Amino acid sequence: MPLSRRAFLELLGGSTAYAFAAGCGTGDDGFVEVTAPAKGKIGARDHAVRHFIDYTEWIVIHPDGSVTAYTGRIEMGQGLKTVLMDLVSQGLELPREKIEVVLGDTDLCPDDGPTEGSNATRIVGWRGFWRACERIRGHLVERAAKRLGVPPAKLRYADGAVIGVGKRSHRIGIGELADGTVHLGTLDPRDRYVSARPYEDRGTPPVNGEAIVTGTLAYAGDLFCGEAPYGSWRVPPYHAHLTRAESLDLERARRQPGVDLVAPMGNTAMAIGSSFRGVERCLEKAVTAWSVPKRPLDLKVEEEIRARAKLKKVIEERGTPDDAFTGCRVDLAETYITQYASQAPMETETAIAEIDGDRATVWTSTQAPFKARASVAETLRIPEENVRIISLPVGGGFGVKVGTQAPKEAAQIARVAGRKVKLVYSREHQFVGRSRYKEAVVADLRSGVGADGRIVARTLDLHQDEGFGSTGTYDIPNVRSRLFRSPMPGRHGTMRGTSFVQTCFAVESHTDSLADALGVDPVEFRLRNIAEPAFGPLLDACADMIGYRSRRSGDGRGIGFGICHHGGRQLGATAAEVSVDRTTGVVRVERLAGAFDIGIIVNRNTLGATVTGAMIWGLGYALFEEVEMDGHRCHTRGLGDYRIPRFSDVPPIELAFFDNVTRAHAPRGCGELPVITAAAAIANAVARAVGVRFHTLPITPDRVLAAIGTQRGGNQSVT
Amino acid sequence: MTSTTIRLRVNGESRTVDVDPEEPLLWVLRDHLGLTGAKFGCGEGVCGVCSVLINNEVYRSCAVAVGEIAADDEIVTIEGLGRPGNLSPLQQAFIDHTAFGCGYCTPGMIVTAEGLLRSNPSPTRAEIVTAMDDNLCRCASYPAIVDAVASVAGDDADRRED
Repeated sequence: MPLSRRAFLELLGGSTAYAFAAGCGTGDDGFVEVTAPAKGKIGARDHAVRHFIDYTEWIVIHPDGSVTAYTGRIEMGQGLKTVLMDLVSQGLELPREKIEVVLGDTDLCPDDGPTEGSNATRIVGWRGFWRACERIRGHLVERAAKRLGVPPAKLRYADGAVIGVGKRSHRIGIGELADGTVHLGTLDPRDRYVSARPYEDRGTPPVNGEAIVTGTLAYAGDLFCGEAPYGSWRVPPYHAHLTRAESLDLERARRQPGVDLVAPMGNTAMAIGSSFRGVERCLEKAVTAWSVPKRPLDLKVEEEIRARAKLKKVIEERGTPDDAFTGCRVDLAETYITQYASQAPMETETAIAEIDGDRATVWTSTQAPFKARASVAETLRIPEENVRIISLPVGGGFGVKVGTQAPKEAAQIARVAGRKVKLVYSREHQFVGRSRYKEAVVADLRSGVGADGRIVARTLDLHQDEGFGSTGTYDIPNVRSRLFRSPMPGRHGTMRGTSFVQTCFAVESHTDSLADALGVDPVEFRLRNIAEPAFGPLLDACADMIGYRSRRSGDGRGIGFGICHHGGRQLGATAAEVSVDRTTGVVRVERLAGAFDIGIIVNRNTLGATVTGAMIWGLGYALFEEVEMDGHRCHTRGLGDYRIPRFSDVPPIELAFFDNVTRAHAPRGCGELPVITAAAAIANAVARAVGVRFHTLPITPDRVLAAIGTQRGGNQSVT
Repeated sequence: MTSTTIRLRVNGESRTVDVDPEEPLLWVLRDHLGLTGAKFGCGEGVCGVCSVLINNEVYRSCAVAVGEIAADDEIVTIEGLGRPGNLSPLQQAFIDHTAFGCGYCTPGMIVTAEGLLRSNPSPTRAEIVTAMDDNLCRCASYPAIVDAVASVAGDDADRRED
């Protein structure tokens, strides 16, 4: 969407802004010079772009030589702020102290799309900020040359200034060069971009580190303490979309200490008061009866998903998948099922809303500030530009904070209250309030393998609420994969690894089944069938790290592998070694090894933290995480009911990083891929350890014991 | 209203609050005393992000009613361990090991580790894991947290493992 230059001019005032807008029309040199405004007045509202691929970037150079970088993406522990700081610091050769990175403020930052899909470093960081710095360096050299009346070749950019080559007497700092003008350029994120110079990871510490360890980093809930009252709403006992409050006792509820107001709200009740606990207690009394959901109490996940499924799209079709099975040495059909899971960030969703006439400000913990802005505007029936979302550091998102419920509800409650209100989700709100679970998936797979060990044909039917995962890890000539959409009793929400975790578990378990049916080593079988040669070194690295060639599976110990690719050509492999207690059914992950082809590393500290954490996420998803529900209600209502990985679950983890697949020497991101491959690898390792394939995640002790029991009964497969 | 005047000692200072004695300490720290380092995570004492020390022992401040605390009990929050520019050895170790992702659980982790080190200055890695196992970190920075605590516990943590 082209930037309105007039709007842009109006917004600026004293500093030099470099704005890079996709599709923006400019002069031949890509820059337009205009008069600039005062620090802190930069806005981007009028050229907000709606989708992340059409991003817009801003870097502002102030007269004192300091720089502010703005993006609508947010920090949630993945290290984006650190990565952007590092890229701008190295890109403009400035110390960190001279740089400020502003994230997710809809009045100040461009709309770079929601922070999801492990693409912020690649798209906003590399193709945006790093490339912008390159353009700025070149432009400032040209500018200095014009001013000094020397050819640009006699000058170069260094240490936040333009200096004369071989003659230090020419030295103009960027603050002075930037002097009161604005340069507008265009960058299309879809362009192929090769950096003019290499980036060097200097292993700098995370930017928020000191604030985090001293407890002084302000999250949304830390704002307006003792000032804004708490507002909340009653979580229904049933799935929220299947019930409503039938009778209220507001009088009794009102008597709770610390409560100012109780009122009906939508299908439930809301309250406001000075005490978080008081408001929650009040709400427990406010609703005395709920309508009972009109659907069967019994919930049969697989049956219901199949019964409601309607073909939504053909994901991939080539060759003649219906005929190609004929004559295959192995023709194997299997079904894999995954359960509902919950993001469970440590910080629950939080929003503070203040309404002033037809304007609203919301401070919140969100992965999608611009979606939140639209949602709040719609709720309050005011124009989007009258709403400002100010994003605070997110205390874990994992997909759930792409939703915009909390900002919207805070605005609703603030309007009723007539004052600024803070909404902090209780754990019950977080788990069941709006029931946005990682979707359960039923995957039907059938593959035909030739005598040469090559997969000849595959059909894959995925049945799920939304999205779909990667099906293209292997090079198969005859394929048909389809997505059947099936609305769930518990509603869908995005969660780290999205649908890839489920699909990769199904495909990689099936891959091991095929290898076993052929009597071929599972690593060897993968190497024969991979679509990308770059998977080879990853599998080898994992096998080496875990000592695969020198160890044996069986007798309660097993090693398994999982490979997958994810957005932006990230490739990953993981090996897991597990032990299984055959009497208790408890699985223990003994070691994990991950190899990821993800391009260059911007910051090894934040990458290491993210990837290690993601591997452990895979462990949780494979072994523990399951939201318990029936047709009427969710039984998982607190952190005590939902098993996530903890200290004692974590094995030694070894990681290796590669840059073979593109050799573009650019970062490609890695926030989700390790979850995907680790979960698949662990499932395969457990199957190796006990000699039975598991068709359902998570692999809980009950499922292990059932599997072992079935094995004794002679059947080699259980669900 | 059931408010009572309650006297507390927090981070070495005497403080007075007018509050319902049933109010959990967490919300008194946050809403009445402006100490927001202890976070809300679960409200039922199972996640540890609200951990504080009371007389050198680790407590879940969301599960302690403020009325149960004696006037001379010494409460220490993350703010009492070190400040920006003047970090405690544990705080510095958490930075050096990048022992956090989003950082939301970090104050509770550091307070819990501090409690462990006050009672056992040189724990083994296994003792660190046991002492901290009820503190949850959804970014799963667990290995780096153990490394950070072990580095402050001295070489003992690694040596005694062998």
